Amino acid sequence: MAQESKMNNSVDLAEQQLVLSTLEPEQLAEAKKQRVPRRHLKGRELAILWFLRIYLLFMIAVVAYQAWTGAR
Amino acid sequence: MNWFPGFRPERKVVITHEDIDRAHDRARVNAARSRRTWFSQLRLLWLLVGPGILVMLGENDGPSMLSYAATGAKFGVGFFLPFIVLTFAMAIVVQEMTVRLGTVTQRGHAELIFERFGPFWGWFSMIDLGLGNFLTLITEFIAIRAGLGFFGVPPWAAVLCALALLYTALMTHRYWTWERITLAIAAFNLIFVPIALLSHPDWHAIRQALITWKPVPATDKDTLLILLADIGATVTPWMLFFQQSATVDKGMTKRDVTFGRADTVFGAALAATAAVATVIATTPLFIHHMSAENFQAAEFAQALQPLIGKFGAALFALGIVEAGMVACVTISISSAYAFGEVAARPHSLNLPVQQGKAFYAMVFLLAACAACIVLIPGLPLVYVVLVVNVIAVLAMPPALVFLFMLVNDRELMGDVVSPRWANALATGVVIFLTAAGVLFGVSVIAPNLFAAMGGK
Repeated sequence: MAQESKMNNSVDLAEQQLVLSTLEPEQLAEAKKQRVPRRHLKGRELAILWFLRIYLLFMIAVVAYQAWTGAR
Repeated sequence: MNWFPGFRPERKVVITHEDIDRAHDRARVNAARSRRTWFSQLRLLWLLVGPGILVMLGENDGPSMLSYAATGAKFGVGFFLPFIVLTFAMAIVVQEMTVRLGTVTQRGHAELIFERFGPFWGWFSMIDLGLGNFLTLITEFIAIRAGLGFFGVPPWAAVLCALALLYTALMTHRYWTWERITLAIAAFNLIFVPIALLSHPDWHAIRQALITWKPVPATDKDTLLILLADIGATVTPWMLFFQQSATVDKGMTKRDVTFGRADTVFGAALAATAAVATVIATTPLFIHHMSAENFQAAEFAQALQPLIGKFGAALFALGIVEAGMVACVTISISSAYAFGEVAARPHSLNLPVQQGKAFYAMVFLLAACAACIVLIPGLPLVYVVLVVNVIAVLAMPPALVFLFMLVNDRELMGDVVSPRWANALATGVVIFLTAAGVLFGVSVIAPNLFAAMGGK
């Protein structure tokens, strides 16, 4: 692998080679610090997300009402 | 990967302890893969299974097993046996997507939602997960407390036992060891199979029920509540977050997707077996017309004792304890993964404590808070158990839509976006779950309309 690595002092050469030869570049903890680019949500997607959000809030209120009446 | 700009393979990288541990695991996988014997293929399967089995057996948690027990006690063998198998088939469809998403993106589910759709939708998703996970964690401690209560263990000691087990499994600081310890404990979920055998099941009725889905119960509010609880016992949001993060933490890659699928299907088969066995085990309560309203673990075990013996009842109580313990571990870790991903803090079971303070602290904080709540005297815990699975079903459609959008995102997934048949199945699951929730809502707030629809 052509990766140039800045290693911690505690990591020995054999372990460096093992990591670089067995893990794919995006599997390294350091690579995961890169952010995934934001995606623009389309109108239909936003409509579905809002519908389900309202549905969830409403249904949780229904469950709370049922639990309250059940407790009484 | 080429989908996130700024990542260049030639840039300087820091190799962490987490990378080294993962590399050791991957080296064993590569060694097994390089050989072509059937033994090495079996070894490869052994090395790659884990997240799928854990997520499925983890979802056979305290409230889930109590839902299955209530199903058997209220309806006996009939419609619900094949229905439970169907819910596990739905779980396979959904969880397979998280395997693909994790192996391709190498990111956790929370991280992807936050970064891809922005913090506005990300926080909604996190609130759903956090609230659902915390309520579920409370119910796991209720199950542990009630199960150990059957043996005369005081609540504080039962809760301490659960926390000690969680601590022991985590303090290995190694994903592989943690996974194997948790798998070993999770295998005890199958304890419900011998309990079912002790109940002298009617095999003819079971076969008929599985084939014909009969007898069908009356369409009333109680049936709907059990229906929703049984769905919530199989498909819940934490499973999506857990399996994707665990797949990434285990170090699985695109080459392992087939094994990830096998892991998920095998886990679902084991969990479905335990679930069906639980329904069969409590069917004698239905046959003897014993009311199981508001039963918890200890009450079920006590009620079953005259029918399946003291040994069978003790096994039932132990099964509930195991279900609660495994879920306590997996659910608290699912929350900690999500927290680490969103807060951009190190989040791996391969981390030493020094490097993963926030991750481990989150696991213990959540578990300890849930444990303390269970110890508060006089709390109506039975209502928490009843509503937690229902809330899980209600929170599932929004979570599934995020998963659906991510797994069909060509920029993220490249050529492994979901095929049409998988999308059709996933859409069917979303519609089914939403319809079940709406029907439940109608039965609560408009009982007259529900009656007009054929309900009672």
